[in-house]
Amino acid sequence: MSAIIVTTVLGIIILYLGLTKNKTILAPAAIAGLLVTLFLSAKEWGSGIGYYHNMVIFDNFSIAFNVSMITITILIFLFGIDYYKRMEFHVAEQYSLMIFALVGAFLMTSFSNLIMLFLGIEILSIPLYVLAGGKKFSFKSNEASFKYFMLGSFATAVFLFGIALVYGASATFYLPEIKTYIAQFHGDLPPMLLVGLLFIVIGVSFKVAVAPFHFWSPDVYEGSPTLVTAFMATVVKTAGFAAFYRLLGMGLLPLPVPLEKALWVMTGLSLLIGNLVALRQGNFKRLLAYSSIAHTGFIMLAMLSQHSTSASVILYYTFVYSLATVPLFIIFILVKRASNGLDQLSAFQGLYKKAPWLAVFMTILLMSMAGIPPTAGFMAKYQVFVLSISQGFLAISIFAILMAVVGIYYYFNVVREVFTDRDHLQDLVITRINAGLIIVCGIAVVAMGIFAWNLPI
Amino acid sequence: MKDITSAIQIIPLNNYIVLSMALFSIGLMGVLFRRNIIAILMCLELMFNSANLLLTAFSAYHSDPTGQVFVFFIMIVAAAEVAVGLSIVVMMKRNVESVDINLLNHLKW
Repeated sequence: MSAIIVTTVLGIIILYLGLTKNKTILAPAAIAGLLVTLFLSAKEWGSGIGYYHNMVIFDNFSIAFNVSMITITILIFLFGIDYYKRMEFHVAEQYSLMIFALVGAFLMTSFSNLIMLFLGIEILSIPLYVLAGGKKFSFKSNEASFKYFMLGSFATAVFLFGIALVYGASATFYLPEIKTYIAQFHGDLPPMLLVGLLFIVIGVSFKVAVAPFHFWSPDVYEGSPTLVTAFMATVVKTAGFAAFYRLLGMGLLPLPVPLEKALWVMTGLSLLIGNLVALRQGNFKRLLAYSSIAHTGFIMLAMLSQHSTSASVILYYTFVYSLATVPLFIIFILVKRASNGLDQLSAFQGLYKKAPWLAVFMTILLMSMAGIPPTAGFMAKYQVFVLSISQGFLAISIFAILMAVVGIYYYFNVVREVFTDRDHLQDLVITRINAGLIIVCGIAVVAMGIFAWNLPI
Repeated sequence: MKDITSAIQIIPLNNYIVLSMALFSIGLMGVLFRRNIIAILMCLELMFNSANLLLTAFSAYHSDPTGQVFVFFIMIVAAAEVAVGLSIVVMMKRNVESVDINLLNHLKW
């Protein structure tokens, strides 16, 4: 709880620090504040205290996800030092909006009441609508912002209607009470409750971009400023999956049969659409957007396996995915600058000649995304498959493994471009802090794959 | 509070459900088929408010105030959201001099 309060205050402080017109203190102040939050969050480990009549409960699950999200946000802010150097105005707002979004993410990992889930989703989303439109004079950014806003609000409205229907049936917003209410029907639910649950699941699926509800994500990823895209692809996705898992685990398990069927269809579609459409993407940000839809499918697979280790596997998967995605976006920013704003895959041509070490680290990160040993991405996928096969979902696991193989193709498309011999990158400027962070992330991705692949929750 | 609750209960619950379903569907169709951004924003509000109506009616019928408190939360969040939405529309209007959604076709596939 203290983490939420400190983060909110931190956001306001950063907002006011913007009045000093001194850009250089913003990132260090924000990072220092987030380190305090990290400490406060980690301190509550094992206590499992509930606040406000148990509307939010900080158990180990939520603390683990919070720590992971704070770490990724710190990483993004460190990259932000260089990214926002060229921006003249409103830098403080960018940082504080991300911090406010993080507060929403905290609520999404720790709710036990549908009201808190709704508030968490909204506190996360509203700053992001603004952040997506960060480049005020770029029409693409306007369009991304508007699309995100419209489809996000649309999803929220559907989600709210679902909550209203579930409330009508069960007369409560508390997930444990909803669970006991559902259990009394022994799988034969009244239609109003079933429609309500389906609407709630659709609303959350929109936020994490599961396949039939994914169509906003490539457009929004492409149009938004790249650092914001990195934030959306990592922190928001982690928060969304934490919320999804908590929703299912606290309120809906064992899943009603029609709902379970719907979720399995969504899993299969995410794997299929994510991987197949990514094959024909020329734009790097869209490629990562579709790859993130594909990753969504794998995480859904872990989630639907419904085992006690699912939470740990999801945490590991999302963290490792975030750790590889953020530096990839940063390398893309650097290359895009050096090639006069080209955002196609061909922008990477000649990277190997210009900066060999960067090309090597980029290959490692892409290997992790594709799931090739010894990187952490492989261990994440391996754990998902072990989990789903041990729970007896053989057919979809084989399908997912096939799709993972398809995934290797488009990731290595990028690697091929990196090692293509052409000299069109004029002046690739890599600041010392960016270089250091990319190296740290690359090493961390390998190290986590070898040593730390069993996270405790 | 007591007489409001009993006033709500004069009308059968099914009528509330049908009315809010109808409002929700109108809003949904509006979001899908209107081409003016302002109209889309209004339709989104309609969808939010249909959920509000449903929550209020259920709350009165269950004699449980939580639903009505939740309505306040929804109203505040919807206000915040529409403030952001309108500012996005203003930003777009400055760039393209129009509020037609068909202009938003630069990002596809």
